[in-house]
Amino acid sequence: MTIIAETASRAPPAVAAKKVSDKTLWLLAPGLLWMLLFLVVPMLMMVYVSFWTQTTFKISPILTVQSWVTFFTSETYLSALWTTVRIWLIVLVTTLLVGYPAALYVGLFVRNKTTQTVLLVFCVIPFWTSFLIRVLAWRPMLGKEGAINLILQALGIINTPIEVLLFSELSVIIGMTQIYCVFMVGPIAFMMGRIDQSVIEAAQDMGAGFWRIFRTIILPLTMPGVVVGAIFVSVMVLGEFATAAALSGRKVNLLGNIIVTQVGSLKWAFAAVVGVVLTILMGIVVAALLRVVDLRKAL
Amino acid sequence: MNSSGTKFALGVYTSLFLVFLYAPMVVLGILSFQTGPEGGPQFPIIEWSTYWYQHLFGFTPPSRIAPLPINEALFRSLVLSVMTMIVSTVLGVSSAQAFRRKFRGSGVAFYLIVLGMMVPGVLVGLGMALVANVLGIDRHWWGTAFVLHVVYTYPFAFLVMLAILNRFDPSVEEAAWSLGVSPIRTFRKITFPLIFPGVLSAMLFAFTLSYDEFSRTLFASGRDLTLPLAIYGTFSVEVHPNVFAFGVLTTIFSFALLGVYAALMTLSIRRAKRIAIQEEA
Repeated sequence: MTIIAETASRAPPAVAAKKVSDKTLWLLAPGLLWMLLFLVVPMLMMVYVSFWTQTTFKISPILTVQSWVTFFTSETYLSALWTTVRIWLIVLVTTLLVGYPAALYVGLFVRNKTTQTVLLVFCVIPFWTSFLIRVLAWRPMLGKEGAINLILQALGIINTPIEVLLFSELSVIIGMTQIYCVFMVGPIAFMMGRIDQSVIEAAQDMGAGFWRIFRTIILPLTMPGVVVGAIFVSVMVLGEFATAAALSGRKVNLLGNIIVTQVGSLKWAFAAVVGVVLTILMGIVVAALLRVVDLRKAL
Repeated sequence: MNSSGTKFALGVYTSLFLVFLYAPMVVLGILSFQTGPEGGPQFPIIEWSTYWYQHLFGFTPPSRIAPLPINEALFRSLVLSVMTMIVSTVLGVSSAQAFRRKFRGSGVAFYLIVLGMMVPGVLVGLGMALVANVLGIDRHWWGTAFVLHVVYTYPFAFLVMLAILNRFDPSVEEAAWSLGVSPIRTFRKITFPLIFPGVLSAMLFAFTLSYDEFSRTLFASGRDLTLPLAIYGTFSVEVHPNVFAFGVLTTIFSFALLGVYAALMTLSIRRAKRIAIQEEA
């Protein structure tokens, strides 16, 4: 039965090619059209409007680079750009440091498939809660009278509450690390699971210690996972503004926050400039990460 | 790997990691049972009560703390998620169906679709707001925000369906065609039942992502709030435990949804198995 079907399917493609491409087109057209109209056009519009003239409450289609000049000469905007890059780098490192050992344990040390799945499901469950609620949940944790300070005081580790925990850059970093580290754990654990156990066993038989095995086998083989995770985390952190809005007490202004305030005060052209800058930044970051590992070859 | 010392240390680490993931939600859950209206969003719990849950539903006497505007927001969010779910699943299934055959430009088409889930909400949201502004269209949750929700969820539906169709044995369909069954009937009777688990997953993805979607909605919807926007509104003001109570309720709702999904999934897998057995017999 399958043999017949296979030979049958192998024979006619040359004949059916034209007919199929027609069908393919009809199946594909609605989706692609949707993406063109509602994704590509808005993004291009953003680039276009960034060159419009901004007056107090209105924008008019007279082309100018005034908004761009304002962006690159303003202390506020440049410092927001720097803050965005800094927080992105820090969160990238913290998610990797926090996530990698967990992925190592789940992907390589847990040999029972069921336990492995259960552990991964436990990592994903928090995603079933609203993102904003999860951000907000850090407030009662980190506050001056928050859970962490209470516990530390009860244990006698500190006498006075640590105030820097909430409404600071630190709280934004803690919150983002918790929310995004799972995007690191997933891809890395996936690559761990694909490591051939016999390679590790061979290395052990030849007397290699854990660190040596980790450095020469595990780390290189899981690099594609790290890169995929880093791309996820980067794109999400760079486009962030809610965590900073909820946990920094307006002390941390990311490019995303700037866009929100500019739109709020109807400064569309400025917002568009910031949007284009953010897009370019993201493009550079993703391209650089893809340079590290050739994903097509590695996967 | 059997270096037991390392394994133990990593095991301990992983349990701490899970505590890190769950602790904030647990704390939030506990504090939602704070007494009201004088109890604040912090420890200690003055007295256990369900005051804030009653507050959410408007069962408490009016106090200085305004109730969350969730009634209409909930309705809008549900309608929006269902609309998004239907459209993005249909688009996802049809484009994944197209990708079963190699065609020229498939790489570009693939990246164009996947771009939708990669581009941050701030950027598409802003772009859409600008388009609406320039064209003089009013922004609404059922219009400009809805199309952006689909831009976001359709790639997920597409990828899920692509994974399912890759494992799918085309010979079953070809058998039906060779017996003279029309393509539409083949799709309904053969293809669809076999890909149904995938469709269900795509629907679940689309619904939950849309229900929780926030940054795109913030820019692209007009004055009317959806649920995430209502929560975002509390960020700038003092937080009261009613937001926590609401967080607990949405979490329960999401798990109920997951339960429905699991039940439907089990049923459809059982049915698929039954069909397979009949075919073999």
